[in-house]
Amino acid sequence: MSVSKKIVLLGHFGVGKSSLLRRFVENTFSENYMVTIGVHIMKKEVAVENDAVTLIIWDVEGTDDFTKYRSSYLMGASSFIYVFDATRAITYSDLKYNLNHINEKFRGIPVHVVGNKVDLVDENDLLKELEAQEIKHSYLSSAKTGKNVELLFQDIAAQLVTHAQ
Amino acid sequence: MHNKDVSKQFLDNRHQLVTVSSELKVVESDNVIFYLDKGSDITEFHPFFYTLTTIFDELETSHRFFCIQIEFLGKRRYIDIQTKKSIENQEVYVFIEDMTEHYKNVHQIKQVRNESIIQFNVVQELNNQLEVQRGFKNKFLANVSHEIRTPLNSIKGFLNVLKVSEVSKEQLDIINIVQDSSDTLVTILDDLLDISKIEAGRLEIKNRRFDFKSFIDVLRKTYALRAQEKRLDFDFEIGENIPNFLVGDRLRINQILINLLENALRYTHQGSIKLNISTSSRNLRRIPITFEIIDTGIGIAPENLERIFESFTQLEKRGLFGGSGLGLSIVKQLTGLMESELEVKSVEGEGSSFNFTLTLGVSHDQKSKIERDSVPLIALPDKEIKGKKKKKKRILYGEDIEVNQLLMTKLMADHGGYSLDIAKNGEWVIEYLERYPYDLLLLDLTMPVMDGFDAATVIRNHSNKQIRKIPIIALTARTTQEEKELAKEAGINAFLIKPLDQKALFETIDRLLNRYKKKKQEED
Ligand SMILES: Nc1nc2c(ncn2[C@@H]2O[C@H](COP(=O)(O)OP(=O)(O)OP(=O)(O)O)[C@@H](O)[C@H]2O)c(=O)[nH]1
Ligand SMILES: [Mg+2]
Repeated sequence: MSVSKKIVLLGHFGVGKSSLLRRFVENTFSENYMVTIGVHIMKKEVAVENDAVTLIIWDVEGTDDFTKYRSSYLMGASSFIYVFDATRAITYSDLKYNLNHINEKFRGIPVHVVGNKVDLVDENDLLKELEAQEIKHSYLSSAKTGKNVELLFQDIAAQLVTHAQ
Repeated sequence: MHNKDVSKQFLDNRHQLVTVSSELKVVESDNVIFYLDKGSDITEFHPFFYTLTTIFDELETSHRFFCIQIEFLGKRRYIDIQTKKSIENQEVYVFIEDMTEHYKNVHQIKQVRNESIIQFNVVQELNNQLEVQRGFKNKFLANVSHEIRTPLNSIKGFLNVLKVSEVSKEQLDIINIVQDSSDTLVTILDDLLDISKIEAGRLEIKNRRFDFKSFIDVLRKTYALRAQEKRLDFDFEIGENIPNFLVGDRLRINQILINLLENALRYTHQGSIKLNISTSSRNLRRIPITFEIIDTGIGIAPENLERIFESFTQLEKRGLFGGSGLGLSIVKQLTGLMESELEVKSVEGEGSSFNFTLTLGVSHDQKSKIERDSVPLIALPDKEIKGKKKKKKRILYGEDIEVNQLLMTKLMADHGGYSLDIAKNGEWVIEYLERYPYDLLLLDLTMPVMDGFDAATVIRNHSNKQIRKIPIIALTARTTQEEKELAKEAGINAFLIKPLDQKALFETIDRLLNRYKKKKQEED
C-alpha cells in the first residue's frame, strides 16, 4: 500500500473545486453547476519518480467565510488547495483574510492558491489585477481546458512525498 | 417489546454500525445500508475511511462527520458518521446514519441560492468592466451632458421669461436662486464635456495673441470682490517684467485660474487668498510664467493629495453635483495639455498652494489693442427698440422641438419688437421663405427631414436674392468647434448656444439686422 495523503479543496462556492477534481480524477468536465454540499471525497494514485502516493482529495462545500469550515473536514490534511474564480473578483478579494485564518489554525501546512476558469479571462488583465491586490497565486488553471490541473496535483504530490521522507 | 420492534423498523434501514480494526479492515458490520465484506479493507469501499488512520493516532476517542457524499449502487447518498475508539484502542466503531432525504432538501436550497448569488456577481463584474472602459465612460459623459443640456435649456429659458413677467419680490428671489442653480448645472455640464474631450484627446489648445495684463486685471477685480464677500484678504502680485500681450489659450488659462481660485475660496474660511504671477525670463519670444494660488484654508491630508485630481474618485466620493466636483481634475488635465505640471503643497489645517508654469509666446506687437478673434458687440439696449414706433420685423424660426418653439414664442411676445413664425423642419423653412418675406432666420441645427446645415446651404444658393441674403442665426445645444466651422461654411452668420441667453439673443438679432440694413443701403 502506497502512502496516502489528505488534501482539502477550499474556496468560495462555484469557483470550480469539484470541476478541478473531476478533471484530475476522471478527466471530464461539465458546464452544469451542481452545488456540493458537505463533502465529496475522491482518490487518485500519483506516481512521483520511483514512488507512488495516494491523494485522498476532500472536495468541501464552498464558503466565503473560512471560519465556518467544519474542523472535522479539515483535520488531518497534509495540504490545502485554495481555489478562486478568475472571473469573479469577490472570490479573491478576501483571500488574504481567509489565508491568515488557515495559516493560523493549521501551522506549517502548505496552501496552494489556484486561480481557476482562466479560459474565460484575459490573463494579462488578471495578473495586473492580482498584483494590484497583492495576491500571490501558485497556479492559474482551467478545469474546462485542463490547463495546469495535472501539474497542480502532480506538484503537490511531489512536495508531499519529499516532505514525508 | 412491542415498542422496540416498531422503532427498529423506523431506525434500522437508516443506521449501520461497523467495527473496524487498526489495519482498517472490517471486523463486523450489520450491513443495513451498505454491504461490507468481513475482513475487507474499508478504504476500498470509500476513501473517506482513510480518516480512521488519523483517529487511531489521536487522543480524542470520538468524532462526528456530517454530510458525506457517497455513491452506492449508482445512487448518491448523504450520510453522517460518528466514530468511537474502543477502550483498548484496537478497534473503531463507525456509526453511519443515512441522511439523504434531509440533505437533498438542503442541496436544493443551496443550489438556488448559490446560482443566484453567482449570477449577481457576474453582473456586478460586467458593470465594473464597463465602467472602467474609457470609451464607455467618455461616451456616457458626452451623452449625459448633451441629454441634460436640452431640458436645462428650456428651464433656463422659461426662468428668463418668468423673471420679466409680473412676479412678487419673494418670487423673484426664488427665481434668482433657481437661476443660480441652473447656471451651476451648466458649468458642471461644461466640465463634464471638457473631461470627456480631454480624455478622448479631442480638446485642443488654441494659442492666440491676447491682452494678458487686462485679462488678469479682470480676474483680479472679480476675485478681490469675491474674497471680500467672504471676509478674506485677496493678495495679488504680478511681475513687472511680464509683457502685456502674450500668445496662448486665454480661454483655458482662464478656466484653470478660475477653477483654482474658486477652489481656494471654497475651502478657505479665514485668512487670505493670494495670486502670484511671475517670470524668471526676459526672453523676447517665449517666456515661462509661473502662476501660484496660495490659500490659508483647511488644507489637504497627505493621503488625499494625489486623489484630489482624480475626477472619478471624486464623482464617486462626493456625489456628482456636490462638493468641489471636477474642477481640480480639469485643471490637472488642462495644465498637462499645455505641457505644464500642476504642483500642490498643503498642510492640513494651514492651507494649500497650487502652482504651475506655462511657457507662453510673447507677442511682437505690444501695443495694438485689437484682439484678432474677438467680435465687437454692437448692442442696442432693449428699451430703445421698444420705444421707437416702427414696423415689426418678421422672424422665421426653424425648430422641431415643441418646448423650444413655445419658449421662443414667449420671448418674442414679451419683447414685442418682432413677429415670429415657426417652421418645424428645414423643408418648411424653405417653403415659408419662398412664400413670405422675412427679415431674419433663427435656425435650429438638428431637425428631422432637413437639418439646419442643409437648409442654410439651400438658402445661400437660392435663386431669389432676398432669400439668399437673409441673416441666419444658428441655435444649437452642440458646441464643438467643428460644428461652428461647418455652420460658418454653410453661410450661417451667427451662432448662439442653448440654453439661450435672452440678452445675447436680442443683441445678436439687432446686430445682424443693423448690419443687413447697412449693407442694403450701401448696395442701393
Ligand atoms: N469556463 C470554465 N468554467 C468552469 C471552470 N471550472 C468550473 N467551471 C464552471 O463553474 C461552475 C461551478 O463549478 P464547480 O466545480 O461546481 O464549483 P465548486 O467550487 O465545486 O462550487 P461549490 O461546490 O458550490 O463550492 C460550473 O458551472 C462549472 O462548469 C473552468 O475552468 N472554466
Ligand atoms: Mg463543488
